[in-house]
Amino acid sequence: MHPATSPTTDTPAGRSHGTPVPRRRLLRGLLAATVAAPLLFGAAACGDDDGAADPSAPVKLSIFWWGGDARAKLTEDALALYTAKHPNVTFETTWQANQGYFDKLATLTAGGNPPDLFQIDDNYLAEYAARSTTLDLTSYQKSGKLDTSKFPESLWQYGVVDGKLAGLAAGENTQGLVYNKTLLIKNNLPEPTTGMTWEQHIAWAEQVTAATRMPGTQDPSADYKALWVWLRQQGKDLYKGKELGFSAEDVTKWFDLWKGARDRRATPTADVIHEGNSSDVTKQLVVTGKAATSWVWANQMPDLKKNTKDELGVVAYPGDPSAQWARASMYWSVFKGSKNRDVAVDVINFLNNDPEAVKLLGTDRGLPSNLDLRRVVSDGTTDQAMKQSIAVEAELTQKFGPSPQVPIKGHSKVKSELIKAAENAQYGRATPAQAAAQFVEACKSAIA
Amino acid sequence: MALTTAPDPTRRGPGSGRAHSARRGPGAIRHSEGLAGYVFLSPWLIGLMGVTAVPMLLSLYLSFTNYDILTPFSEVEWVGLANYERMFTADPSYWHAVRVTLTFALVAVPLKLAAALGVALLLNRAWRGVGLFRGLFYLPSLLGGSVALAIVWVNMFNRDGAFNSLLSLVGIEGRPWVNDPDWALETLMVLAIWQFGAPMVIFLAGLKQVPTELYEAASVDGAGRFRQFRNVTLPMLSPVIFFNLVLETINGFQGFTAAFVLSNGTGGPVDSTLMYTLNLYITGFTELQMGYASAMAWVFLLAIAAITAIFFSTGRFWVHYSDGEDR
Repeated sequence: MHPATSPTTDTPAGRSHGTPVPRRRLLRGLLAATVAAPLLFGAAACGDDDGAADPSAPVKLSIFWWGGDARAKLTEDALALYTAKHPNVTFETTWQANQGYFDKLATLTAGGNPPDLFQIDDNYLAEYAARSTTLDLTSYQKSGKLDTSKFPESLWQYGVVDGKLAGLAAGENTQGLVYNKTLLIKNNLPEPTTGMTWEQHIAWAEQVTAATRMPGTQDPSADYKALWVWLRQQGKDLYKGKELGFSAEDVTKWFDLWKGARDRRATPTADVIHEGNSSDVTKQLVVTGKAATSWVWANQMPDLKKNTKDELGVVAYPGDPSAQWARASMYWSVFKGSKNRDVAVDVINFLNNDPEAVKLLGTDRGLPSNLDLRRVVSDGTTDQAMKQSIAVEAELTQKFGPSPQVPIKGHSKVKSELIKAAENAQYGRATPAQAAAQFVEACKSAIA
Repeated sequence: MALTTAPDPTRRGPGSGRAHSARRGPGAIRHSEGLAGYVFLSPWLIGLMGVTAVPMLLSLYLSFTNYDILTPFSEVEWVGLANYERMFTADPSYWHAVRVTLTFALVAVPLKLAAALGVALLLNRAWRGVGLFRGLFYLPSLLGGSVALAIVWVNMFNRDGAFNSLLSLVGIEGRPWVNDPDWALETLMVLAIWQFGAPMVIFLAGLKQVPTELYEAASVDGAGRFRQFRNVTLPMLSPVIFFNLVLETINGFQGFTAAFVLSNGTGGPVDSTLMYTLNLYITGFTELQMGYASAMAWVFLLAIAAITAIFFSTGRFWVHYSDGEDR
């Protein structure tokens, strides 16, 4: 600041003032104003979205999701419908496969050009919400701009992280055990049913292997959603608050259960299990013909069906089905810094509550969240696989238990550590107890 | 830079140029031509600064923070040496990745160089159609670190891949190579070794430079084929071997694409293909610990620099430059 006191830096502004202002203070003030101005304008630019703006001003909304061609077409059709009703709003759509989606989303966010509106799931919602990347939708919900009155309460609540509505359920799904119906009928084998115990499921799978020489079931010990259901049936959970909801003993029992199944040849060999541990729909063993059963989400039925000629069936995971819950298959979230957040929220509302849009989207992202429209969609569908997934979810809706909390920060690491530990046991490189201890240890540092 | 680009003033054209240079002196010319050089270099320099240098320095800064990609820069917390401490004391998967990478480099790099040299020796003859073979052997390395190639590799070395079909012809029951934690890394090594074309071409060029008089003299002295190879070819080729060794070692350490594709980006099965760079990528982009990943990147850079420095310091004992300077 000292050079500023030199006489040569005197400003005309200083002279024109009638009252003498100490020069140093004036200059300091000017400097402060120069620094602050862009900040203030910036802040104003961020805040001008709250109703004051012209509602018919052109808006280009960027939107990003993962999924296949079918989802892309449905979504683009629904968005076109929005543009037809609001000609000033156009969309810049980007979509890609699930693998790599979150890497890209994180990179876009870091690079300062995140999409206004993006799809996210419960694996990452807490990561994004904890860092305030997502807009809190609570105020829109309260003002009715985001209408959740027709939603099951537990469904929209599954988007609440630390008291903030971080994402709105784009659809509902639940765990689904998908089996190869054609194979079973051909071999005169019984189909699995909802409510079978785990022991019964494994015995059934053993029988399938013996009769068809195709392993009866994928070994789901590396699958967090199967472990999760099983834990809930034991009165435990995946997370409790910011802690793990289970102990190494629980996981040992889980790994032991499946070691038994492998020893009885109810499952494929470790390398085939490894292939099926991919989250990719096309690699699920029930469609690659390497096992009779896969552990997936019920809304993936139509997608799975596209990858096989065989008929498929779907039931709940084994054990008490009340351990399952109405899960938000994925959410729509709005980037907190978006300049078009009001419009983005309106689009979410449209995609969930507009009868035409919901009809277009069908059950691609899960059962429609809006219960009234869900009924319309399920009555109207002709897709066999979609009908089946609707039927099993409708049946389970009567039995669903309460939703667990949304997985916490570090969950993606917990998932990959489970795969590593389970595969260690599957390849016979560790005993179930060793693998369980390794897993719990790794989890603790992952969520710390 | 300016010194090497400034030409000898006496080589400039006749007439005004010479008079001009006489008036302003050689220093001025050096200066103005140096400046012109930098102007012409500027697109590259801007690229270097913007795309490489600045992000690199930024990552050095980030390696001392808890940057997680999603949090804005302004809210990043300085954590001192915590990331480095964690890496060296509290992260078993980091050391696992170091082991995997070292194993990969120690096996794949020497074998690749040996394959390259062996084939180069075979192709350094005046056979008919030798040009075709040079092309064919070079082809795999043109495909380089491509994703398509890695996908083909995975399918070839699957349980029901082409490789096991071949084995079954001779009555051997194969393994699910890429899905077997004991063999997945080896499969990647074979892929790396197979792409020996680039060092092979360099070796071929080096072999062509060895003067035939040396072989003639050696055979006059009664040296056989092997003796000639050991006492003439290898020493004469040592600068080229050195060059290839340094380059391929650095390449070997940086292997990423094949491991990423083979394991669907997880480093599996059971972390058997968790190369250093893949671990770094997962840490940074999947687990969102970019500060920690930056620290890993800097340790990696220093490690590669140290290994290269070791090569250079030992090179004095086995690399012979026959360009007049006796070393």
